[in-house]
Amino acid sequence: MRFIDWLDERLEIRKLIKVSLTDYKVPKNINFLWSFGMLLVLTFAILFISGLFLLMYYKPDAKLAFDSVNKTIIMDVSYGWLFRHVHAVAASIVFLLMFIHIGRGIYYGSYKSPREIVWITGYILFILFAATAFTGYLLPWGQMSYWAAQTITTLFEKIPFIGPQLVIWLRGDYAVSDPTLTRFFALHVTLLPVLIMIVMGIHLYSVRIVGSNNEDGKPIDKKKEGVPFWPVFMSKEFFVMSVFLLFFFYLVFFKFDFAMDRVNFEPANPLQTPTHIYPEWYFLAFYEVLRGFFFSQNLGLIAFALSMVMILFLPWLDKSPTVSGKNRPLFQIAFWIFVIDVLVLTILGKLPPTGLYAWVGFFAALVFFGFFISLPIIARIEKKQLEGDKK
Amino acid sequence: MIKELKILFAIVVIVLIGYYGIEDLAHHEMYGNIPKPDFNYLDLQYDIKEKGNPQNGENLFKQNCLSCHSLKVKNLKAMMDENTAMHAFNVVPPDLSNRANIVEEHFLFNFIKNPQNATKNPKFAMPPQPQLTDKQITDIVSFLKTVAKKDIQGEEIIEDACTRCHNIKYQKIEAHTNPENLKKYLGKIPPDLSLKGKSRDKEYLVAFINNPQTVLPGTSMPRLGLTKESTEKVVNYLEHIADPHKEERNKIGMWVLIYMLIGVILTYSWKKKIWKSLK
Repeated sequence: MRFIDWLDERLEIRKLIKVSLTDYKVPKNINFLWSFGMLLVLTFAILFISGLFLLMYYKPDAKLAFDSVNKTIIMDVSYGWLFRHVHAVAASIVFLLMFIHIGRGIYYGSYKSPREIVWITGYILFILFAATAFTGYLLPWGQMSYWAAQTITTLFEKIPFIGPQLVIWLRGDYAVSDPTLTRFFALHVTLLPVLIMIVMGIHLYSVRIVGSNNEDGKPIDKKKEGVPFWPVFMSKEFFVMSVFLLFFFYLVFFKFDFAMDRVNFEPANPLQTPTHIYPEWYFLAFYEVLRGFFFSQNLGLIAFALSMVMILFLPWLDKSPTVSGKNRPLFQIAFWIFVIDVLVLTILGKLPPTGLYAWVGFFAALVFFGFFISLPIIARIEKKQLEGDKK
Repeated sequence: MIKELKILFAIVVIVLIGYYGIEDLAHHEMYGNIPKPDFNYLDLQYDIKEKGNPQNGENLFKQNCLSCHSLKVKNLKAMMDENTAMHAFNVVPPDLSNRANIVEEHFLFNFIKNPQNATKNPKFAMPPQPQLTDKQITDIVSFLKTVAKKDIQGEEIIEDACTRCHNIKYQKIEAHTNPENLKKYLGKIPPDLSLKGKSRDKEYLVAFINNPQTVLPGTSMPRLGLTKESTEKVVNYLEHIADPHKEERNKIGMWVLIYMLIGVILTYSWKKKIWKSLK
């Protein structure tokens, strides 16, 4: 008896392969943007493996953490620098991939019925990655690690009723200190990655059920149309992956510092605030929404919280019957304004919030919400047009 | 195919705008302009007017400098041992063997005349030398120039100019002066230099070493008067110890990229083969 038959008898492996790979059909008219899901799985695997090696030498202790990263791992351990740079670059790039993945989802209407669960699990994944990145950023215990954690945890103070207690609970102390480091470490290496893996599983499973969206947004007849996931789609996927890895390793070897702020090579010093405190680039847009309402801290915080959750409600904000943005001229205008706006917010997030920048920031923050408000209106106009066409 | 390239192009453009917007534009705007270094120290008013006499300078050195400073190249020991000097001045006085080749000549002249003014540090430990005439100072400078080693390495310059106050923990170098004395002298313990080559960029380090007050007003670091060459050697050394694997990284990096490029070619031809059979 062949091994595969032996396995099949016990695990129904053939059926599993059939259902999830060879018989799972994806539309033929999907471009390389649909490869970003698998790229994200790949990057998560890279993060997981490089993180595992870092875990062998890292010391989660306020007195030891900085040196264990910057001396032991980067200078002393064989190829420790490689794992450190791979981990840091991947942590940054995973957000670039996620933004493109989300952007593709928005443009082609991939959040629409019946893909709401795909959208929701995707959103949860984004939040989980954000939490993992935030907790991970504290671990090298550099100046920016420390002060970013201090600033961001302070934001929770403003939550009504439970705020002040919540902040102490998060930090394990009245200020960011050794207990904060150890609990962020625990979350970063256990709970958060496990949750990511579980939700990622549900995300992929739900895509298998409802099928991939495509450029035209029209569902395919799975029996007649579409190409099998394996080997047809994956052959393209491997090509995209290798192009991505070429870019990824270029960054790792020749431009690793783009993902590491220079200030973070100074050890954390609770008595000395750095001249400027800013989050990593992937949080800058949200951070700028917070700062955009420069005249009222409370309003800024509400806007900040909203900006993080707005995207979850896309399936219910945009009820247009047309799925793909490719066939929706009005939506396209709104989409590209939104993309440019997020870009502007991201750059402004690192500029000093004074003078003209403050006002541009305020305006850009309004435009950010304007996109979400415009969606129901655009949908209504499109519905009317469709009805007009029918008559 | 063309359509996919267009999409890729759009993504690349957006990412590049974002990258240069954040890194170059915003980062630069945030940290402001770094002042240009002046290695001629033109703000110092006294000029060396004549040629010095080294023999005369040696005698003057023994009479005026040897009480605190040693001169190892000539086997001259300071009259005061390091420990006593440290407790008197809160800092160990440097050996002056190579000083004249590390420090710019015009600066050195002005420094001996008025250390507080030259270093821009009113609490600088060495007292002014009003008993010396300009001619005598010129003689001392020319004497120091004749004894100083010509081609001096970054590591030696660091040892000479920086580690009396700074630790370099990762190189197992401890400051010559006790931390308590440094705290009394400078108000705080000067930072460790192990990773300065990484936490600051080259332009900043050069400008800061050249003239600390213009970069970080109020800092207790004195201006040292290093020449352009010694400043660059110091900065290169700092960058090297902060990132010791750079050469290895670049070498391996090339091979990894070639490997990945082969991967791109192979996966592309497989993809082409499979998609051809579809049509």
